[in-house]
Amino acid sequence: MNPTKTSFSCGQAIHAMTRRRMLGSLGGLAGFGSLLHPSIAKQIEERKKQVCLIWLDGGISQYESWHPLPDSKFAGPFRSIKTSIPGVHFSELMSHSAKIAHKISVIRTMSTKDPNHSTGVPRMQRGDPLDRGVDYPYLGSSVAKLLGPADPELPPYVWIKPGNGGFIHREAGFLDARYGALALGDGRPPVHIHRPDGVTAELDAARNALRQKANERFKTYRNLSDVDAYETSYDMARQLMARKEIFDDEKLDPKDRERYGQHPLGRHVLQARQLLEAGVRFVKVNSYHWDTHGDNFNMSQRLVPQADQPFAALINDLDDRGMLDHTLVVMMSEFGRTPLINSRLGRDHWPDCWSIALAGCGIKRGAIIGETTKDGGFVNGRGYDVGDLFHTIYNVLGIDSHRVRYRHKGQKLAIASDDCEPIEEVML
Amino acid sequence: MSVTFHRGSFGKILWIFATMTWGCHLFAEKPLHREIDKLIKAKVGEVPFAEVADDATFLRRVSLDLTGNIPTAKEVTVFLNDKSVSKRSDLIDRFLKGKEFADYWAERLSVMLLERLDLGKVPREEWEVFLRESLYGKPKWDDMVRQMIEAKGEGEARAAMKFLGKADHHLMTENVSRLLLGMDLTCAKCHDHPSVKEWKQSHYWGLFAYLNQTKQATRKKEGATYLVEGLATKKVEFESVFDLVKMTTGPRLPGGVEVEIPQFEKGEEFEKEAEDGLPAVPKFRPREILANDLTAKEYDLFARNSANRIWFILMGRGLSHPLDEMHSKNPPSHPDLLALLAREFAGHGFDLKWLIREIMLSETYQRSSRLPEGSAKVEPTSYRVVTPKGLTPEHLLRAVLRATGNVGEIKPTDTDPEAEKFDRKGYFMGSHDELPSSLDDMKAIFVQTFGDPPGQAEVDFSPGVNKSLFLMNDRLIQHWLKPRSGNLIDRLGKLNKDSEVARELYLCVLSRLPEEEERDWVTAYLSENAHRSEGAQGDLVWALLNSAEFRFNH
Repeated sequence: MNPTKTSFSCGQAIHAMTRRRMLGSLGGLAGFGSLLHPSIAKQIEERKKQVCLIWLDGGISQYESWHPLPDSKFAGPFRSIKTSIPGVHFSELMSHSAKIAHKISVIRTMSTKDPNHSTGVPRMQRGDPLDRGVDYPYLGSSVAKLLGPADPELPPYVWIKPGNGGFIHREAGFLDARYGALALGDGRPPVHIHRPDGVTAELDAARNALRQKANERFKTYRNLSDVDAYETSYDMARQLMARKEIFDDEKLDPKDRERYGQHPLGRHVLQARQLLEAGVRFVKVNSYHWDTHGDNFNMSQRLVPQADQPFAALINDLDDRGMLDHTLVVMMSEFGRTPLINSRLGRDHWPDCWSIALAGCGIKRGAIIGETTKDGGFVNGRGYDVGDLFHTIYNVLGIDSHRVRYRHKGQKLAIASDDCEPIEEVML
Repeated sequence: MSVTFHRGSFGKILWIFATMTWGCHLFAEKPLHREIDKLIKAKVGEVPFAEVADDATFLRRVSLDLTGNIPTAKEVTVFLNDKSVSKRSDLIDRFLKGKEFADYWAERLSVMLLERLDLGKVPREEWEVFLRESLYGKPKWDDMVRQMIEAKGEGEARAAMKFLGKADHHLMTENVSRLLLGMDLTCAKCHDHPSVKEWKQSHYWGLFAYLNQTKQATRKKEGATYLVEGLATKKVEFESVFDLVKMTTGPRLPGGVEVEIPQFEKGEEFEKEAEDGLPAVPKFRPREILANDLTAKEYDLFARNSANRIWFILMGRGLSHPLDEMHSKNPPSHPDLLALLAREFAGHGFDLKWLIREIMLSETYQRSSRLPEGSAKVEPTSYRVVTPKGLTPEHLLRAVLRATGNVGEIKPTDTDPEAEKFDRKGYFMGSHDELPSSLDDMKAIFVQTFGDPPGQAEVDFSPGVNKSLFLMNDRLIQHWLKPRSGNLIDRLGKLNKDSEVARELYLCVLSRLPEEEERDWVTAYLSENAHRSEGAQGDLVWALLNSAEFRFNH
C-alpha cells in the first residue's frame, strides 16, 4: 500500500520528517522555524510516547510474584516481603520490584476468558476484540499504526526474543504487512544490517551516492509517491546500519548487564531500554517457559527473579532519565496460574483472577489495586478483562480508544473492544 | 429447475451467433485499443498527456509484462536498431506466442489465485503445469476458471482443483467471490455489508450453497486425492448477527436466480456408485453448476472482474480499485471502459491473449511514466501518465540474475531425496554460510523477502527497510557482483574504454543506452577509482540494481 494513502499518518510522517530533516540540513533556520508550528509541536509530544511490553510466555504465577497471600490455603513455600508502599507485600522472589512498588501499578484482578496458550497469547496481545471476521493486529503493530514511528528513521516496532529473528509481518494482522515486528532473534540485529565483508563505510557511502545520483534522473518529471517511499526505505536502512550497535545485545555496557541480570531476559530488557532511548516506539521483549505445570516452586524460584531484576532496573533507569513519564512499561502473561497446587507440585492455567504490572506514561505510581476472594482464587468486585487493559494502554498513549477506529475494507473496526473501559484506578 | 445461465443449448446458440457476428463489428466500432484511448481521453478532456514511451522503455515494459524478465542487452540493441514501423506490435505478438509467456503468466495468475498459499493435496507443480499448458496456445479464461471450480478431473486433470485448496467451504466461498467476482464478501458471512447496500449476507450463503457439499476423497488404488460432491438435499440456513432472523438459500450467484435443489426418490439420487474410496456421485452437483454459470458470458460480474484484473496486471491499478471492492461505493474510475472491456472480453470468448494484446496496443499502455510537460502531479486514475509498477519478487530475481549475467550460476534442483536440503532459515539467520544454488531456493529467498505474507493479495507496491537491506547487503547479491567467467563484472573488466563500460552497464542493468550526462558521471567515477577498477565497476552495478529505475516496471 502506498503510505501516503493510509488513513493514519504514519507513512506520511516518515516523508514529512525526512523532508523536514533535509530542509533543516540544507536550509538552516528554515527547518528550525517549522518546529514552532503547533501541529508539529503536537507531533513532538506524541513522538515521546513509547511502550515496552515484557511478555512472560506461558503464565507467571501471581502467587509467586505480585500477589503472594501467604495465609491462603493455596500459598506456596515462599515468604511475602514488605514493599516500598506500607501494607503492600510482594513475594520474596520480587525483591527488586518490592523496592520500587511506589513507582508502579499492579492490577491483581485481571479476569480474562482464555485458558489456552495457543489461543490465549494472540487473544491477549490483540486485546480480545469482538469477532469481526478479521485478524486483529498485535499490540505492537497497533501502536505502530496508530502512532507511527517515534523516530522516522527507526522501525516503530521491535521485538526482542529468544530464537529466530527477521521481519515478522504476521503480527500486523489485517494492517499492512509493514506494521509487523522487526524481530531481533537472541538479541541480534537482522543479518542484512551488516555491511558485506570488504565494503568499508567510505565505500558504502560512495556507492550510495551513486545510487542517489541514479535516482535523481528517474525522479525528474515523475509522480513521486512510490519512488519516494522506495528511497525512504533506503534512508531507513542506512540509518539502521549506522546505528546497528543499538540492535546488538553484545554491545551493552557490562555494568548495566550486571544490574539487569546476565540471563537472556535481563539482557533483552536492557537492550529494550537502549532501543527506547534511541527512539523506537514500541519494544516487545519475550521470555518463554513460564508454564509451570510441574515443579512450580523450584521453577518460580529460578524464573521470577529473572523478571523481577530487569523490570525494576528498567523502571529505575527510565525514571532517572526522565523517560518514565512518557514510556509505558507493561509486564504480563496470557494468564495466571491456578490457586490449587496439582499433584506434580505445579500450578495450571488460571485466567479467572491474576496479576499484571504497569508503570510509566499516564499510569499512577503506587496503585496496587484489585480485591480478590480470601484465597486469591476469584475476583471480588470488578475484574478487568484484557479489553479494559487495551483501553487503558491506548488512553495513556493519547489515543481516544472509543473514538479512533481502524478502517479495513470499508469496515470501521474498534481498536479495543467496545464492551470494555479504561481502568481509571491505575490512570493518572 | 431454473438455472440462470446454464451452459446448455442456449449457450451454444449464443456462441454460434457471437462467432458469426464478429466480422460485422457488432461488438465494437473500432479496434478495442482505439476505444480504450478514446474513453480515457474523453474523461479528462483537453489536457496534456505523457508522450509515448521511447523504444527501450517500451521493450523493457513489454518484456516484464509478457515474459516476466528484463530484456537482454542484445535484445535492446536489436530492438533499438529495428526500423520496422510495426516492430512494437510484432514484439507483442512474438512474446504472446512464446513459452516464456505461458511460464510467466502461470506464475502471475498462480500468485493471484492462491496468494502464495499451498493448500490441499494437489502438488503445486501439477497446478503450475495445468496453468502453463492452458496458457500456451490460445487460452480461454472462462475455460480455465471452469476447470478450477468444476475440479472433477481424473488423473492429471485434477490439477485445476488446487484453486479450491483443501475444500474449506468458507475459504472457497470467500475466494470465489473475492478473486473471481471482485466481491470481498467476508463480512457478509455474518451480516449484510454495513455500508455497501447491494452486498447481502444471502450472497455469501448463496455461493456457499454451491460449495458446501464438496469434500476431499482419496482413491485407494492410486492414493490420489480428489474433490467430490456429497448429496445436497436442502438449503443452507443462516442468520444475521444483528437481527437473529433465520433465513435459507439454495445455490445462487449474486444477482442470479436461486437453483432449485431437486428431490429424488430414495435410491434415485446417485448416478454412479461408490468405488475405490470415492463416494457415490450424486445426479445433482451444485459445484459443477457454479463452474458453468459463473463463467457464462452473460454473467457480467465475472466478466467485469476478469477484465479489471487483467487491466490491473498490465496497468498497475484496476479500473476498479481495490480489486475486490467492486461495488457502488467504490465506482470504477472509467465505468464505460470497464463495461466495454468486460463485454468485449466475453464477446471474444474470454480470449486472454486477445485482451492483453489490445490493451498493450493502446496509447494508454504505451505512454511514458514521465509526466507531461508543465504538469507537476497527475492523478494516476486519469491514465494521463503510466504508473510505474513494482517488480514482483520473481521479476526481481530474474532481472538481477539477467542484469548481472549470472543465469549460468543456477544449478538444477537436486532431485535426490537423500541430498542435504539448502537451509533457508539458516541463510536468513546468518548461521549458514552456503549460498543457494538452485532457482527454487533463490526464488524462495526472494519471495520471503519481497513478497507479501501468504494469504494476502499482492496488489500495491510496498517498500520496506528489510527489503532494501537485502538488496544492499545480501551475500547472494554480493556474490553475483564478483567476476566469474562471462558474467557482467567479468565482461566489464575486459572492455577497453570507460565509455564502453557505461554503455554495457546501462544496457544490461537498465535496458537502455546511457544518456550523455550519465556516461559522463560513470566514466568520471571509473577514472577516479582507476586503481580499483573491478571494485568500481561493482559499485556502479550495485548502484543501478538498487536504483528506483531498476525496482519498477516504469
